[in-house]
Amino acid sequence: MNPSPTVTMTATTTATIRDRVRRIKTMPAIPAVFLPLLKLLAHDEVEVEEVVRLVSYDSAIAAQCLRVASSPLFAMAQPPKSIKGAVMSLGLRRVETIILTCCLGQAFPTKKWVLDPIVFWRHSLGCAMVCRKISEKLAGADREKAYTAGLMHDLGFMVNCLVFSKEFAPVMERACQEGIPLHEVEQATLGFTHCETGRALAEKWALADDIVEVISHHHAVEDSQKAQPLVALVHLSDLLCRMRGMGYGYYERHKVDLMADPAWAILKKEYHDLEGMDLVRFTFELDEAVETIHTLVSMIFGSTPTPPEPSSPEKRGR
Amino acid sequence: MTITLQSARPQLSPKRDCDAVDPVYPQIRDLVYKVSGIYKADDKLYLLADGCGRRMKLAGVRTPREYWDRLTASSNRDAELRELLNEITIGETCLFRSQPQIDALRKVILPELIAEKSKQITKRLRIWSAGCSTGEESYTLAMNMLEESERLLKGWTIEIVGTDLNDRSVETAKAGIYGDYALRNTTDFYKRKYFTVVDDKKLQVRPDVKKLVAFSRMNLQEDSRMLFMKGMDVIFCCNVLIYFDGISKSKVINHFFSNLNFGGYFFLGTSESLMKLNEQFHLVHFPGTIAYWKPSLSSGKL
Repeated sequence: MNPSPTVTMTATTTATIRDRVRRIKTMPAIPAVFLPLLKLLAHDEVEVEEVVRLVSYDSAIAAQCLRVASSPLFAMAQPPKSIKGAVMSLGLRRVETIILTCCLGQAFPTKKWVLDPIVFWRHSLGCAMVCRKISEKLAGADREKAYTAGLMHDLGFMVNCLVFSKEFAPVMERACQEGIPLHEVEQATLGFTHCETGRALAEKWALADDIVEVISHHHAVEDSQKAQPLVALVHLSDLLCRMRGMGYGYYERHKVDLMADPAWAILKKEYHDLEGMDLVRFTFELDEAVETIHTLVSMIFGSTPTPPEPSSPEKRGR
Repeated sequence: MTITLQSARPQLSPKRDCDAVDPVYPQIRDLVYKVSGIYKADDKLYLLADGCGRRMKLAGVRTPREYWDRLTASSNRDAELRELLNEITIGETCLFRSQPQIDALRKVILPELIAEKSKQITKRLRIWSAGCSTGEESYTLAMNMLEESERLLKGWTIEIVGTDLNDRSVETAKAGIYGDYALRNTTDFYKRKYFTVVDDKKLQVRPDVKKLVAFSRMNLQEDSRMLFMKGMDVIFCCNVLIYFDGISKSKVINHFFSNLNFGGYFFLGTSESLMKLNEQFHLVHFPGTIAYWKPSLSSGKL
């Protein structure tokens, strides 16, 4: 990256971010069911009826959930016909993640995006999926928690678009032009990143501590105090997504050495299974899911097809 | 550790659907991966099924299940597997075969190598296309290097070495004449800039491109020759390792590792992997592609 005076984050910056996030009135017209659902998720024992009741309050969300539940991402022989049916066949925690996906998608006004919303959602959903796929290989990992963490990790970009759009627009432009990771340009030009702005919103929404931790530290895993393995998982999945066609829509000019990343060691310490994971095969398998993610994003967010990003893996084979 | 396939449904064209989802094909895919490191993703499984189909016809086998038995339980299973590998990798050669690899080379690797080597007296980069077949990859590399010659590579000497076991392939490579099929991924920009017209069907690589590449016949299993290929910055060896058995493969890979300079990169074919054959290489991801990296002395990762 070209040298430029790095702006450092100060206590004043943090206070300003908090203040501006607090004052937004238009912010997230989140569906009414979203926050109660997050609260429900935090408990180990969740009442099926309670979830069904919540979701049924919002018919738009309910309909969208059924469409998502029927998508290839959740590969079911018989697509569910009712929310209750979906809960029965997919399992409660999985349905919750579907509901969260839909809620979050409805939360943000479409006009204010600096980042292409389709690109953003591909990345967020892609990361959610990769988090879950990796945790499926790790005995004892909470897959649905991993999914939620992956889905929410970049909440800060939404805040940037809504509250700091004037400052964020040139950041985005420079990142695209020079192929530098977004958080580095944010830090260098704004003095803060989407991690801080995301944290402010996460705290305003009173999200679970571990999710706040992921949002705040997914670019600096070693700084996280709590839930470090989850933060590490999201960090690695984020990198992998950005290398396999589910990034921010531009070519990032750098190499990624996942196994030499400190996050890999942190995750391995918690889950020894990671040692035996065949990362190349995992990467190849991931490409199969990229198209599914693209379809899903169009399904939820009703897009016209956006071309694959320049970093997409080519079609392998002949 | 065996990794099982996730539940994502294969995206197959309808007419091939019933063939390719025969449960034997994922099994054959796993076998092929175990033996060769080549992985055909779900949406490419029909290519594997096609390859199996052609072999089945030749071998007089009627069902995929019977063919599975032939691959695993018959006395000539190794030979059959070799034939199948040939079948699924043929036709992969063309100019500009892998854009993500070219992008990684030009956008990430070259700037990195140049920054690292700029303090050296001789500004020289060496790239080896090992198993270059009829030269498509070597010339693709040469044209891309020429594109950088006025900017990134100004003042640098570039050497590209193309080697292949087959004499005739090497001769064809030297001639540098290609038809539509080999040129199917080559844009008009490159065709106009780096080729001359031979006839209405064929183009020939211009002399300034040829000048960058030295072709020769070489057997990668010949230790004495391998020892003389030192000082490489990047090695490409795409769809070649399938021809070696486990032991020779690992020997060849170790040669590649020692032939690379510190900080150098090793590329395989796009569906290929090294698996556990060499633990010294670092698996690295670039946008859309993977490679193996011999850590630089300054990286502290050796």
